[in-house]
Amino acid sequence: MSELYVKIMEIRPEIIMLIGACCCLMVGLHRSAEIRKLTVAVAVLTLVFAGFYNAWQTLDSDHPWTLASFTKMAVCVVGVLLLSFASGLPDKLKMSRDAESHPEKFDPGNVMRGEFYAFFLFSLTGVMLCGGANDLVWLFLALELTSLPTYVMVATGRDNIKANESGIKYFFLGALAAAIFLYGFALIYGATGVTNFDQIRECIAVTGVTPLFTLGIVLSIVGIGFKIAAFPMHFYTADVYEGAPTPVTAFLAFVPKTAGFVSLILVLTLTSKTNFRMGNPEELQIYISLPNTVQAVLWVMAALTMTIGNVMGLMQTNVKRILAYSSVAHSGYMLVGLLGISSCVAGVTSTNGAAGVMFYLIAYALGNMAAFAVLACLERNGDEATDLDDLAGLSARKPMLAALMLLANLSLIGLPPMVGFAGKIYMFSAAVNAGFVGLVIIAVVNSAISAVYYLRIVNACYFKKADASQTELVPTRNRVMVALAGAVLAVYLGLAGNELARITNQATIANLFNGKIVRQVLQDYPQAMGGEQTAWNIEKNNP
Amino acid sequence: MEIAKFIPWLPLLAAILSGICCMKRSLRDYASWIVLAAVAASFGLSLMAGSHITPESGAVTVHFFEWIHAGNFKADFSYYFDTLTIIMLYVVTGIGSLVVWYAGGYMAGDKGYARFFFAVGLFIFSMTSLVMGDNLLMLFLGWEGVGLCSYLLIGYYYEKPSAVAAGKKAFIVNRIGDLGFALGIFLTFKEFGSIQYAEIFSQTAHLNTESATTGMKIIPYLLMLGAFGKSAQIPLYVWLPDAMEGPTPVSALIHAATMVTAGVYMIARMMPVFLLSEHALTAVATVGATTALFAGLIALCQYDIKRVWAYSTVSQLGYMFLGVGVASSVGGVFHLFTHAFFKALLFLTAGSVMHAMTGQLDMRNMGGLRKKMPVTCWLMFIGCLALAGFPLTAGFFSKDLILGDAMAKGITDHNGWIQILAWSGIFTAFMTAYYTFRLWFRVFCGPEHYVMGDDHHGDDDHGHGDDHGHAHGSHDDHHHHAPHEMPFARMNLPLCFLAVGAIAGGFLCHHWMESMVNASSASTVNTAVEHVATAVEHATDHAGEVAVNAHADTGGEGHHASLFGMDVHKAVMIISIIAALAGIALAAYFHLLRRELADKAKQTYAGVCDLLENKFWIDELYDTAIVRPLKLMGDLFFVFDRLVINGIVALVGFIPRLLGITVRHSQTGVLQGYGLGMILGLACILLMVTWMLSSGF
Repeated sequence: MSELYVKIMEIRPEIIMLIGACCCLMVGLHRSAEIRKLTVAVAVLTLVFAGFYNAWQTLDSDHPWTLASFTKMAVCVVGVLLLSFASGLPDKLKMSRDAESHPEKFDPGNVMRGEFYAFFLFSLTGVMLCGGANDLVWLFLALELTSLPTYVMVATGRDNIKANESGIKYFFLGALAAAIFLYGFALIYGATGVTNFDQIRECIAVTGVTPLFTLGIVLSIVGIGFKIAAFPMHFYTADVYEGAPTPVTAFLAFVPKTAGFVSLILVLTLTSKTNFRMGNPEELQIYISLPNTVQAVLWVMAALTMTIGNVMGLMQTNVKRILAYSSVAHSGYMLVGLLGISSCVAGVTSTNGAAGVMFYLIAYALGNMAAFAVLACLERNGDEATDLDDLAGLSARKPMLAALMLLANLSLIGLPPMVGFAGKIYMFSAAVNAGFVGLVIIAVVNSAISAVYYLRIVNACYFKKADASQTELVPTRNRVMVALAGAVLAVYLGLAGNELARITNQATIANLFNGKIVRQVLQDYPQAMGGEQTAWNIEKNNP
Repeated sequence: MEIAKFIPWLPLLAAILSGICCMKRSLRDYASWIVLAAVAASFGLSLMAGSHITPESGAVTVHFFEWIHAGNFKADFSYYFDTLTIIMLYVVTGIGSLVVWYAGGYMAGDKGYARFFFAVGLFIFSMTSLVMGDNLLMLFLGWEGVGLCSYLLIGYYYEKPSAVAAGKKAFIVNRIGDLGFALGIFLTFKEFGSIQYAEIFSQTAHLNTESATTGMKIIPYLLMLGAFGKSAQIPLYVWLPDAMEGPTPVSALIHAATMVTAGVYMIARMMPVFLLSEHALTAVATVGATTALFAGLIALCQYDIKRVWAYSTVSQLGYMFLGVGVASSVGGVFHLFTHAFFKALLFLTAGSVMHAMTGQLDMRNMGGLRKKMPVTCWLMFIGCLALAGFPLTAGFFSKDLILGDAMAKGITDHNGWIQILAWSGIFTAFMTAYYTFRLWFRVFCGPEHYVMGDDHHGDDDHGHGDDHGHAHGSHDDHHHHAPHEMPFARMNLPLCFLAVGAIAGGFLCHHWMESMVNASSASTVNTAVEHVATAVEHATDHAGEVAVNAHADTGGEGHHASLFGMDVHKAVMIISIIAALAGIALAAYFHLLRRELADKAKQTYAGVCDLLENKFWIDELYDTAIVRPLKLMGDLFFVFDRLVINGIVALVGFIPRLLGITVRHSQTGVLQGYGLGMILGLACILLMVTWMLSSGF
């Protein structure tokens, strides 16, 4: 069979998603109001079906988890939660309420429903495609497919001036960032003459890392930094997160970030080198290394991103802005984990920084989503209530919501037994093993600083008196369920995250190591540590 | 055998269900039945396990699940069954079910009914885990678990400040012991490379006092500190008398029959390690005998019934330590076994008295209750006989075994000190008989008089009409006027079982106990033989060899040592029978026949009585010597913390804020500004990269 056929077989979940998105578009504009209401159901069904199909495809065959299948799975699972969070959002808008109010005068031009859910699915499809990318062009298209729908989704509340402003800002700055990483991709192509990842790797193995190639990688990293809201591309974060409707904000904090980190892992694998050395005790270890320049760039970005995120977070009184800066800070931590890729040792889970990042993405998504979902249950004058003062006295009015907020924040701080703690341990221990002790100290100090603003949220919920405020509680069932699911999973994975850690390790290992070199090493030293497993992974992933 | 691993988990499940019962008022009364069923089922499982584990079968390990595997450190949830485990399981689940049975009636109508049974279920879970664990960490886990339950149950009446204080005291005093225990576990891992019993014992089998390292010789001292804390020995005994603030079934189950014997169990379990050190066991014996004497003296002059039994418990625990300390594990564990019966019986009958007298515990305020509470009276009489060591009761056999073994070891080893300890034990036996019957005569004999207590155990014992009624509703209307007998099926019947054990537990179980204990890790026989093997090589003179041979035999069958021309065990038996009878007679004279003489004696020796009544002023001494200085230090640290540490923290906290104020200006909200920022940032990074590339970094 041709390579194209194999590739198409692999992206069947994405194809399902695209078909589902198109269905959403059509159902959303159906003449009958009853059927229009089913749009959400179509979207959820699509996600669930794609998720099950992907799980079946991965578990049924002999294939181990790969970066692609893991990303797809994570997107489908978290996507369902995000979708239930966002469901009902377009129907609430004044404009679309007006358009829907008279059944006989249905005005398709002002209805958001179909587009919203379709864009939602399109964006998720983009992330899923990122995971399986093996070509620069593919990666670029996948990244843009992730981002373009989000520009529209941010501006969903078209009657809200703030949302419009956010949408415009996000679009322009996003375009600028896309230009930067596209330029980086162009330089990589210029340095090697090919766009296929395997071919680039082969080429670099021959020529060595050239300055032009390094510049290309650096530009790509910085440009993709926009998706993950890392320094110096973080400026938009607070404004956009604040302006977007809360469910969309929760979406922004997970979806582009996941796409960004998966792409970063893929870009870094282009420059990584598979080496081997004698470990202690007398065991041959296969490990990978990154060029110094790339490490330095990541180091600076990581340190500045988390520090700026946390320091700015301290200044805020708006919970959405606090969580926006917290999102920046968390990207910083994950960059630390990404640095843990260098000197990742085959067969040793605790040294795999990329797996740590994939783990932490889930951890962060759960805590973050729970926090946003609780926040979305508050309203002031029919508008979103987002100030710290709006949360005052929540524990007295809705103890359950306050408890969920507490759990979410504990996980975001990274306190045991929450999953945030497990994730941080996973990433930071990888970074320490790679020799970045100084950076990890900065990260830990930053975590301590971040506790201040997270606890400020908790403090508002538990210890502030409600001042006869106009804040109303509208705990819609789906939002409470999302918050509950997020918090419960955060506790569960914090206690029993071993399986997830194993899967993330398996998923990333094949991408990180160069199969040829691993096989060669194994031929000479069959007893090399973890090499067999790694080689098996690589074998199965490149049938 | 596989099913035996559920022994701890059934009570835990019951505890969780009781916890659920706490939430709903209508469910509350089911809690006792749930816990009783679970503990009884555990007892059934223990019996089943006991049929598999015989002295001939050897130890069995049942794996439950992997717990911690880190490096070469390994601790699993595995259960280690040997004959010692089986004995302990019988005690914990057997006595446990009887006490839970009794408590169901005793606690009836209390508003914390389900909470009580929740804690009791949790306690049985912890205690069975403690005795069943196959490694020291599980032992420690159960150890801390029972400590927690003890704390929860001592402070059960949390509205009473004294109960809260007693709970805290117990917890803190135990921390001191636990520190030693934890260090002992660490050192064990360091020295033996494992904390699993099987692994440790396989190593100790090839070691003796000469080949053991210094570290190994320190381990027993650390472990014994933990044992002294948990089992209330000098200097850490002070918490146990105060622990009587808890409900009486708790005093019986936790603070007399089971938890406090955990220290004895631990030393018996780790006997091979203790034998590696020359003086560790002597230290244990010394502390045990001293505590027995000391607590016995205090018990002489106490008026609070439960406190008399509390000090008596401390004293009897001292006997057990004396037993294991003279390498007579059989004696120590046997006494643990019999003591569980008769002391639980004594506490529960004391509880019945307290129940009948609505909280009155001062024996000066009661007398002649025999007619009012005949069943309780004779049940307690049986318990008293056993505690006093009256011939052929359970306490007689076990106590004699300890004293006989101690005396025999002292004589054969030519060790004067151990002989002194044995004599002091015999003197304590005399005192025990005296104070035991002093209490019984005072409470049940003589002219009938009583002053009812003003509070109940639990402030609304008979308060809720709906909560109560099945237990003892018939006398509800007149209970404020006169003491009454307890309901039979709900409260007195379990006591009858205990009474049977207190009478017959001795002569029925004597040989069984010997073979069981000697087949377990607590056995001193095998190791004693090894001592011979090594000692013979070094023995230069004939006398030494004879002594060594005799020593080897003390753990075995015959005893060659003699006292007053008789076999030691026979001689000691006769002496202690005399001591017990003399004690009972003296008590009868002073407290039954000539009470005025007792009062006169009290006036004559007012100083001594005062000292004993105030428990040698030990609590006050600890307060001035330890608690107050520590509190003062705490206050000083608090001030230091406020001024210096807080100042530094405030300063450090200010730095990020300052940084934030500076960076804030970059966040203008203007699109062009953001674009510029991005490009400038990119430019800086590219500058850095080009510089790095050009400098060949």
